[in-house]
Amino acid sequence: MLFIYIKRIFVGFYSILKGLKVTFKNIFKKPVTLHYPVVKQPMKERFRGMVDLYPEKCVICYQCIRICPTAALDLGHKVLEDNKTKNITKFTFNAELCCFCGLCEEICPTDAIFLNKMYEVSYFDHKDLLSIDLMSNQKYKHVDGGVS
Amino acid sequence: MGELFTVNMGPQHPSTHGVLYLELVMDGEIVLSCKPHLGYLHRSIEKIAENRTYTQFIPFTDRLDYLASMNNNLGYCLAVEKLLNIAVPPRAQYLRVIMAELNRVISHLVAIGTFAQDLGAYATPLFYAFRDREKIVELFDEICGGRLTYNYIRIGGLSGDVPAGTEQVIKDFIKYERKQLVEYNELLTYNVIFLARSKKIGILTQETAINYSVTGPMLRASGVKWDIRKEEPYLVYDKFDFDIPTGTAGDAWDRFKLKLDEIEQSLRIIEQAIGAIPEGNPVSKVNRVFRGSGETYMRTENPKGELGFYLVADGGLMPYRCKIRSPSFSNLGALPELVKGLNISDAVCVLGSLDIVMGEIDR
Repeated sequence: MLFIYIKRIFVGFYSILKGLKVTFKNIFKKPVTLHYPVVKQPMKERFRGMVDLYPEKCVICYQCIRICPTAALDLGHKVLEDNKTKNITKFTFNAELCCFCGLCEEICPTDAIFLNKMYEVSYFDHKDLLSIDLMSNQKYKHVDGGVS
Repeated sequence: MGELFTVNMGPQHPSTHGVLYLELVMDGEIVLSCKPHLGYLHRSIEKIAENRTYTQFIPFTDRLDYLASMNNNLGYCLAVEKLLNIAVPPRAQYLRVIMAELNRVISHLVAIGTFAQDLGAYATPLFYAFRDREKIVELFDEICGGRLTYNYIRIGGLSGDVPAGTEQVIKDFIKYERKQLVEYNELLTYNVIFLARSKKIGILTQETAINYSVTGPMLRASGVKWDIRKEEPYLVYDKFDFDIPTGTAGDAWDRFKLKLDEIEQSLRIIEQAIGAIPEGNPVSKVNRVFRGSGETYMRTENPKGELGFYLVADGGLMPYRCKIRSPSFSNLGALPELVKGLNISDAVCVLGSLDIVMGEIDR
């Protein structure tokens, strides 16, 4: 009995040493993590961040509104007196509903609507998230690097 | 027998893998019965499907089994394609296989890491697994712009072609991961303490597994050779040469080991698929608005088991009904059978070996 008990202790120690060998090998490797707030990783080309808009490119086709699975976008327009020119009256984006799927960017015929590279999207007041005015050029000014 | 008492494990408990609430009736340290309570993550995804067009529902499938979004996308898109008879370009089919298998690898890596953590190996295996997973997540980020909710596969193809240089990244990963698998075996699989904690714990017999309609790695660990990729090949799986690893005892250790074996088999499939990938345009050419009628059931092999989508269409823009058969739900059903008579710490071990994701249990 005692022999088995002592043998078990030794076997246990041996397997711990074997495991430590693996960790020991990794001590001398370069760290794989980044010190996030100090070092920031650049976002990838296809990264899907906040919804953004080039207002001058928009042709008011309403396709993004129709494809949005969570109805996060809201668009309104008026037709001018010549019965041809359309003007956007409002184009707002609800960041709380958005699921960042990128379907609006995909369907846009003129590449007017797109998802930018912003990922730090804290706001002081959550009401600001409910209707972000996409027509304004100040929309993401308060966030670092948020000028689109 | 002493006085019985009830322990409420969860819904906020680090080893329940989400918001699962287990009602355990205990006699001292021994579990006499276990009753899982669900519903803490219920988002009525099936009802949402009835109110979204076929394309709009794809982002929601990401949120089912959030560790294997690609496979969920694939299962749903295949179901819609089967319902509406949509053809898929050959390049898209190969890319879909590669993406699904890569996602299987990273899903199993999370399962391995969290299982080791449930057994008390504090953080090292989990961090090692996440370090390997990060390579694929970075690749997916480059391919589709998401790190968890990929939303890459579309009805009739993909959302975009892979960027240049992806093949080389995947080839490097295969080489790297094969080396890492040896390391996992050294660190965990044949470690004496690990064996003592997981061998002969939570034995699931073949009969019980089939009776509870358990699927995936859990079923195969019990010795049943059943894999939809072989039995009912979808996409181009019939063109690849791979084995179905099976376990013998059906205990927690077998379920763990099987995941390591499956990673190896997935790497084999990816290797063959990369070699044979045809040229062409994989981007979906079909219109985004569909109308169809009829009903269909499509099942695919997810990392956790068999994922099924049952779609009924009545000619409208949206499906009339979408029933999702999620693997984790059926696998969790076998838990009360497995934990009877075990210590509470072993019950945690069994729950960890089931590899459940609450997102697809509550749907």
